Amino acid sequence: MTEGLFAFGVFFAAIFTNNILLTNYLGMCSFLAVSKEIKTSVGLGMAVIFVMTCTSVINWLIYYYVLVPYDIVYLRFIAFIIVIAAFVQLVELVIERLSDALYAALGIFLPLITVNCAILGASLFMVIREYTFLSGLAYGAGSGIGWAIAIIAMAGIRTKLSIRSKVPFGLTGAGITLVIAGIMALAFMGFAGMIVIT
Amino acid sequence: MKSYKFRQVIKENVGINNPVFVQILGICSTLAVTNVLKNTVVMCAGLVFVTGLSNLTVSILRKYIPGRIRMMVETLIIAAYVIIVDVVFKAFIPDISRQLGPYVGLIITNCIIMGRAEAFALSNPPGLSLVDGLTSGLGYAYVLLIIAFLRELLGSGSIWGFRVLGDWWTNWNIMIMAPGAFFMLALFIWVVKGNFMKEKQGASGAPQAASAGSSPQPASAGGKS
Amino acid sequence: MLSSFLIAVIVMCALATFLALLMVIADLTVGNYGEVKITINEETEMTVEGGKPLLSTLMGEKLFIPSACGGRGSCGFCKVKVVSDIGDYVATELPWITEEEKKENIRLSCQIKAKKDLAIRIPEELFNVKEYRTRVERIRDLTYDIKEVTLKLIDPGEIKFRAGQYIQFQTPEYELSSESVYRAYSCSSVPSRKDFVELEIRLVPNGICTTYVFEYMKEGDEVTINGPYGEFFLRDTDAEIVFIAGGSGMAPIKSILLDMAEKGIDRKATYFFGARTTRDLFLLDEMRELEKRLPRFTFIPALSAPAEEDKWTGETGLITEVLDKHLKEGNNQEAYLCGSPGMIDASVGVLTKKGLPGELIFYDKFA
Repeated sequence: MTEGLFAFGVFFAAIFTNNILLTNYLGMCSFLAVSKEIKTSVGLGMAVIFVMTCTSVINWLIYYYVLVPYDIVYLRFIAFIIVIAAFVQLVELVIERLSDALYAALGIFLPLITVNCAILGASLFMVIREYTFLSGLAYGAGSGIGWAIAIIAMAGIRTKLSIRSKVPFGLTGAGITLVIAGIMALAFMGFAGMIVIT
Repeated sequence: MKSYKFRQVIKENVGINNPVFVQILGICSTLAVTNVLKNTVVMCAGLVFVTGLSNLTVSILRKYIPGRIRMMVETLIIAAYVIIVDVVFKAFIPDISRQLGPYVGLIITNCIIMGRAEAFALSNPPGLSLVDGLTSGLGYAYVLLIIAFLRELLGSGSIWGFRVLGDWWTNWNIMIMAPGAFFMLALFIWVVKGNFMKEKQGASGAPQAASAGSSPQPASAGGKS
Repeated sequence: MLSSFLIAVIVMCALATFLALLMVIADLTVGNYGEVKITINEETEMTVEGGKPLLSTLMGEKLFIPSACGGRGSCGFCKVKVVSDIGDYVATELPWITEEEKKENIRLSCQIKAKKDLAIRIPEELFNVKEYRTRVERIRDLTYDIKEVTLKLIDPGEIKFRAGQYIQFQTPEYELSSESVYRAYSCSSVPSRKDFVELEIRLVPNGICTTYVFEYMKEGDEVTINGPYGEFFLRDTDAEIVFIAGGSGMAPIKSILLDMAEKGIDRKATYFFGARTTRDLFLLDEMRELEKRLPRFTFIPALSAPAEEDKWTGETGLITEVLDKHLKEGNNQEAYLCGSPGMIDASVGVLTKKGLPGELIFYDKFA
């Protein structure tokens, strides 16, 4: 299988069969908190796609060109997290300068993302599975898109739910969101078998 | 007064203000590792260790950390302890370490640890912070253990790897997979919130406004900026 | 062994330094908005460092826009009219701006940044707001969570304020906060004592300012305040007065009552003080004193959850219930409320039911 096709497979898998949120449970905290409103979910989703793709690429380069040659692979946690933190802060500065509209839409979410486990998780999964550069890029982008799709879908469902349904007291808030997430995860499992790639 | 504070911290972290089912933090790892009881125990041990020690360290250093880079320093401290845990696991229990995969590393972004560091360790003495960290970890641990016990029992018919349910039991595979995790946790929260939280909320949400006769104040609500 | 350890340390430090350098460069170039000119009321011009929120930029130039939350976007006090173009409304401003205000281009100065030249308009009185150096003269416990703080003015030595107005208290940098923050507190002293300012401060858990006041501030310390601010003062009419406040909300009311007693303003007045238990009551003697000095003033404390042991014989119930019981249907009455938004909204409900028009209800809503 050519590398490009493999990368495309990874991309597709990351969105559907191996959704970083519904299959790997990453990014739950902000997912549970933000998915009440569609507009904020879209904003956060866009921010996540952008940050995840870029940091995956940067971290791939750092891993294979700095950590591995110098044999300090065990320090990857620190390296990845400081790259993510620095990147997010840089992006915030740049967006604020360049576009007020974009900053209003994305800017407030950026600090939230630094501690989003999905961003760090994507980088970690990428090196565990020993992806090539192209696959790493595909994985980062796909995971971001998968996360965004999950949170936007959840926001839509919760908005509908809030209008009509009476949720039992014990399930309000996190409880019902988890149940919906479980059902979504079930649904996404239907995609398994489309792709024979992890 | 001192021992009262300790008891209060313990009571809060384990029950009323439990990180998992009240504050809804640290969910990612809760769902990920609870499909096998053995892995869960290892993960909980790691988390209790990291939370306790990082709380202790942040508390000792709290007077010397400059405000601007506060979060970075906390993250670095947590990352350092997580690396220790990761390396120890890899050395002594490599199989489990491989099964846990990146989730040990993801302890760094576990909202519970960062949350305790910010909310408690920064403004409390080391001894108390250590206890707060350990008990938060314990509050997290027992929830996970209950969920893991049920998931492994129903999903693989076993406890700690030993098959306990006979051949008559068809494994509920869904319990080991993602949807099962979501449902189990939701069920747990439902049971706890429905039975124990009702009094705290003041049933069916009576408007808080009418009873605020004693709380007006001409100052802003504090909170950290 | 040692060499691999050293390499690890060096490489990590190099990586961290590289990133830090990148951040510094970015901060200096991309984040640097250079100097910005602000024109105020078409006359005053000032050149300032750009890129920071308008509120703090103006404060840095000793122009004090009122703010109860210190710039966090949770009080809505810092409104200014912006006459030049500064971009669309930010999401955090919208909860505080009404439709009419939007047409007037009124913005929340703590949420907009001075990134380029701009022109604004503010009320003339704000130019008269000054910053004062003071010394903590006395700290006294009123209840288990409210302290009375008396500040003696050093420079300038006198302050002119109307009873009911508030000042902004500056918390210095300390353990919980690496930068100083401002919080608003009403003056509880009588305006005729121009060289003292007395405040009632209630402890807020984890509050930056109140933790400083309760745990770090000592008598003799120097404190910076600025003011006075506020539209909460007694209107010059002969209407009956209804005061409603609990906890540290008593501060502006006490100031107004002392002022009334001094000036011989003998209008019929009732002060409804809401609290939970007897532990929350304070300054009862002072209130009785005022009842003697002002024959037509009545003080009515009401407890919503009195404990058995206290043997409370006064009014019980929520403040709204007590209000409902005592208030006669509106005949030439004015109301002054000070407290949390929840209490104020509930009380306003009762007042309107009794026939009090909205224009005659004045309140200090501190979140």
